[in-house]
Amino acid sequence: MKKIDKKTLWALVVTLMMALVLAGCGGSGGEEDSQAGQGEEEKFKVAFVYITSAGDAGWTYAHDLGRQYLQDQLPWVDASEIVENVPENPADAEQVITQLAEQGNKVIFTTSFGYMDPTINVAQKYPDVTFVHCSGYKTADNVGAYFGRMYQARYLSGLVAGQATESNIIGYVGAHPIPEVIRGINAFTVGVRAANPDAKVKVVWTNSWFDPTVEKQSAEVLLDAGADVIAQHMDSPAPMQAAEERGKLGVGYNSDMREQAPGAVMTSPMWEWGPYYVETVQAIKDGTFDPTPTAGSLTYWGGLKEGLVKISDYGPMVPEETKQLVEQEKARIVSGEWDVFDGLLKDQNGEVKVAEGQKMTDDEMLAMDWFVEGVEGKITAPKF
Amino acid sequence: MIIRGTRLTIEKRLVPSSSAYLLIPIFSIFMALLVGSIFLYFSGHEPVAVYYKMFKGAFGSRYGITETIVKAIPLTLVGLGVALAFRMQLWNIGGEGQLYMGAFAATWVALTFPEGSVWWVMPAMIALGMLAGGLWALLTAIPKAIWGVNEIITTLMLNYVAILWVDYLVYGPWKDPAGFNFPLTAVFSDAATLPGLFDSRVHAGLFFGIVAAIILYLVVYHTRWGYEIRVTGENPGAARYAGMNTTRNIMLVMLFSGALCGLAGMSEVSGIGHRLQHGLSPGYGYTAIIVAWLSRLNPFAVILVAILFGGLQVGGFIVQTSGIPSSMVYMLQGLLLFFVLGGELLTGYRLNRVPATGEATK
Amino acid sequence: MSVPLLVEMVNITKKFPGVVANDQVNFNVREGEIHVLLGENGSGKSTLMSVLSGLYKPDEGDILVGGIKYNLRSPRDAIKAGIGMVHQHFKLIDSFSVAENVILGGDGTPMILNKKDIENNLAQLSERYGLRINLSAMVWQLSVGEKQRVEIIKMLYRGSQVLVLDEPTAVLTPQEAEELFDNLRRMAAAGRGIVVITHKLNEVMAIADRVTVLRRGKAVATLEKQAVNQRDLAWLMVGQDVVFQSRKKNPPDSAKVLELKKVNCLSDLGLAGLTDIDFSVYKGEIFGIAGVAGNGQRELAEVVAGLRAVNGGQLLINGTDVTGLSPRRIMDRGVALVPEDRLGTGLIPNLDAVDNLILKDYRRALLRRGPFVNRRVARSNAQQMVERFEVSLRSLDAPVKLMSGGNLQRLLLAREITSQPHLLIAVYPVRGLDIKATKAVHDLLLEQREQGMAILLISEDLEEIFKLSDRIGVLCGGRLTGILPAEAADIEEIGLLMMGTDRTGETAS
Repeated sequence: MKKIDKKTLWALVVTLMMALVLAGCGGSGGEEDSQAGQGEEEKFKVAFVYITSAGDAGWTYAHDLGRQYLQDQLPWVDASEIVENVPENPADAEQVITQLAEQGNKVIFTTSFGYMDPTINVAQKYPDVTFVHCSGYKTADNVGAYFGRMYQARYLSGLVAGQATESNIIGYVGAHPIPEVIRGINAFTVGVRAANPDAKVKVVWTNSWFDPTVEKQSAEVLLDAGADVIAQHMDSPAPMQAAEERGKLGVGYNSDMREQAPGAVMTSPMWEWGPYYVETVQAIKDGTFDPTPTAGSLTYWGGLKEGLVKISDYGPMVPEETKQLVEQEKARIVSGEWDVFDGLLKDQNGEVKVAEGQKMTDDEMLAMDWFVEGVEGKITAPKF
Repeated sequence: MIIRGTRLTIEKRLVPSSSAYLLIPIFSIFMALLVGSIFLYFSGHEPVAVYYKMFKGAFGSRYGITETIVKAIPLTLVGLGVALAFRMQLWNIGGEGQLYMGAFAATWVALTFPEGSVWWVMPAMIALGMLAGGLWALLTAIPKAIWGVNEIITTLMLNYVAILWVDYLVYGPWKDPAGFNFPLTAVFSDAATLPGLFDSRVHAGLFFGIVAAIILYLVVYHTRWGYEIRVTGENPGAARYAGMNTTRNIMLVMLFSGALCGLAGMSEVSGIGHRLQHGLSPGYGYTAIIVAWLSRLNPFAVILVAILFGGLQVGGFIVQTSGIPSSMVYMLQGLLLFFVLGGELLTGYRLNRVPATGEATK
Repeated sequence: MSVPLLVEMVNITKKFPGVVANDQVNFNVREGEIHVLLGENGSGKSTLMSVLSGLYKPDEGDILVGGIKYNLRSPRDAIKAGIGMVHQHFKLIDSFSVAENVILGGDGTPMILNKKDIENNLAQLSERYGLRINLSAMVWQLSVGEKQRVEIIKMLYRGSQVLVLDEPTAVLTPQEAEELFDNLRRMAAAGRGIVVITHKLNEVMAIADRVTVLRRGKAVATLEKQAVNQRDLAWLMVGQDVVFQSRKKNPPDSAKVLELKKVNCLSDLGLAGLTDIDFSVYKGEIFGIAGVAGNGQRELAEVVAGLRAVNGGQLLINGTDVTGLSPRRIMDRGVALVPEDRLGTGLIPNLDAVDNLILKDYRRALLRRGPFVNRRVARSNAQQMVERFEVSLRSLDAPVKLMSGGNLQRLLLAREITSQPHLLIAVYPVRGLDIKATKAVHDLLLEQREQGMAILLISEDLEEIFKLSDRIGVLCGGRLTGILPAEAADIEEIGLLMMGTDRTGETAS
């Protein structure tokens, strides 16, 4: 083994030199490094690009559960190629996505907003591969855009929080001030105020999707400010743990966070990607997949009705009457009778944004950049 | 009373032997791979196969090589920038922030003059990008030169300011109006986009790196100013004694150091991203410090080491698809650094066995 | 002998490559005495005390503590044996409090600190000897004198019976020094043995019970204070073995190359470095500055070269006022400096010979080619200089740190002399060189004098001063205590001037 290593090493040094020369000449010697064809029968390869490690909670974990579901449901699929911790800068993301296309994957799911441009760029070069990007707004012939109406589940969790708060102050740890997060905060606040018109939602930004230390500190700031329920749009359960340490309550996100903070978590808005992945991969295989936008700029925007989002089971502290209220409201949304951002809706300054009897369009929801009445916080970039 | 036996001492080498210069880094890399293979083996992977795949991914195909170069471009530019500062014992840890400021200024040009002609937009982006990076560095050079304020701390702190400044812009005033309020600026016009090379993502920034290395080599080793930098870096007392204007040189060196980092930022937004965005750099500014150090501040070695590190990053993502967890990849990269830097110590020092008696000092 | 010996060093020999730092030295400390170890720089005082405190292992000889032979292998061993040393450079941690510094590294320090107990103990200890100190203050807040007190308390706390202080007054103001002496007397009165290393004669007279004089590594005498006077001590320190050599008369030339008028400057510590220095150096003259090191020599050289700010007075080169000009401007007016610290200031150890040889000339037209240095000319010049000054080196491209001391000095002189200065300042030009190299350097200097160069020679080697100088000025405490024509000077008188007995200034010439 030692010998081989040393050989590899020398090869490394030599090739390093050659790399320069080769690139300099622009030689067209690039051989296709196809790994398909190995194994007895060729499987349909599906790859996933993740922003963090899958771990056991959070955004990526939810997607990875979906990937496992896909693998279990469709035996002719090989969904084993995943790349974790891919930064959202263009240099890294585009390289990883290209690599996956190069390795013979037929479908590539890119599961963070920052992968949008790289996904579109790579897709132009690989017309035979289908790309499906989560949470963005661009589509192409071979690029679909998908997302979930998490705001509906957020609204339900807001009802729970609104009934639980005694101080009438609810803290919300937000990641980045972008429409996805703002929409969630607004829906949550609408829910809170439906259950408790006096309650307010205080927002703190972390400017990160995943940073347990900062998430925890932010939750503590909110608790210090009098919040007795903490909600979050973050990937780690750290805000829930902060609430639990103080004996306060919480509303998790992404996956059922009762596992990480059983004393605090009342419920968690959750993703259920599995069925969508199965459906989409099947459609691509069958040639029936159509990336044309159907909801605003998105190819697919599933909600409570489609089962793409839901709220998890309740913790023991949630009273029966709250559960009933949630069921009642959920039925209204699923039936299509009402949606969260139907009028009358006012913004923080009391200005009417959606008049009585009006509805927001999907595009308006997807570009939301204002806070509803009841939110205390500002949509600004970072703390300075 | 006298204990018989030997003890090991670390002695400074007077002359690092020339073979040591080459052999020790290679041996260090070998050791890192060896230790890494122990971890890989016990976590159920075939070490040789993993290394082979990593290597092949980064250097074994035309695509891998071009991607490696894509990452080597900013590493080279920032590496050259900080190497210039290090040459004068100015510890510019602020390459990341200077890169961001360069990207910021270049983006300003691109967004303000979307209709501009390539003949002046591109030069303006280069010039302003370099100027912004340079001024950002100069901000720390002035207190350093006049009051001796520690530049390690100030350059590091300004990194955060620069990154948050860019965040502020992309989340706020510079947000693309057509971008659904996502934190991205509008896409640059073609005039503001660096041309690609070899039908790949490699862009003209490659030439910036190569030209910068050549110029830096000439400046440092062949000009009077470069001579002053070398003398001041090696022996500040001698510089003073020879009547060199150290205050002025500190400012100039930081200005140019920052300008190179700014150029890296400019070429990143203009050549790769085609827009400014949050999380522009995956820490090029910090990795480049190691690149500069490992290349012993030699401008041409900076290019080679930058390619090695680019490859490490590309190869690292590639082996993930064969089931190696990303943490294992980070560990391998860490081991490589640990051993190479440890080997560095051995280049300058040597282990010596001495008898533990009085005769030891002969 | 009625008073018991705390420590006895017998026939101690310590060699370093090329130097015998201590040669068969005997030294002892009695209970309750202050024993001063006197000698010039490089006479072996610090080496001897480093042997006593376990830093160095002697090549020969024994150390007896309380009559028992000890093998001290480390400072820790020495502290256990009751010997504590206070170094010139304090070994304190700035961000710790006084109390924390004192207990740091002590053997008796418990795992869990009871701050109150410790501070009480220390308070008693410091009060007993009058060592005023705020125990909870942070070390960075303290003055130099207070830091020294912390070091002393540290040694007392560790139970040192013998306390060695290396040049303790070097960093102190006269008032602080007086207070220190009081404290030391109190400690001696309590039965401890105190060793003070110094080269200042007045300190010997102020505090010593006994004095041992070291010269060139040998203990030349150990005397009771009552039995000596300053004059004898000066004589013992400087030695009688100075050989007078005949010199050529200085050529009659009245052009003043360098003139200092009432020049003052500050030392690195911000104290008075030079006070009212008044002298001139003429064309074709070697003006020697004698004196014990640390009396303003470095300051003088730096002031003349423009490297240290003048704080009053005037500096003239060839009759033009250059006070306050930058080093580069002064250099351009023909002043060259061979600094005391060859590798630290004069040369760049890691660069090659060519780069070192252009240090003063790289801006000159000859070496210019646009913004570039003309390497070809630089190289051929370097080759010529190396040949002319017989510098032996492996290659012009090798880092100069590989060269021997003698060759380094030749390289440095080659560069400074080739620049054809009007004035050459040579500080300790032969320090660390062997006899052959010394002669070569001296011949070079004399040769330059013949050709009309003015040379300011600063040295603590009186033999060198006598051999080369036309006139001799003596520095003591930052003042010029006298100027004598070399042929009229006698060593005894110089010795006295070195100790601070003032004589009239310029009139002596």
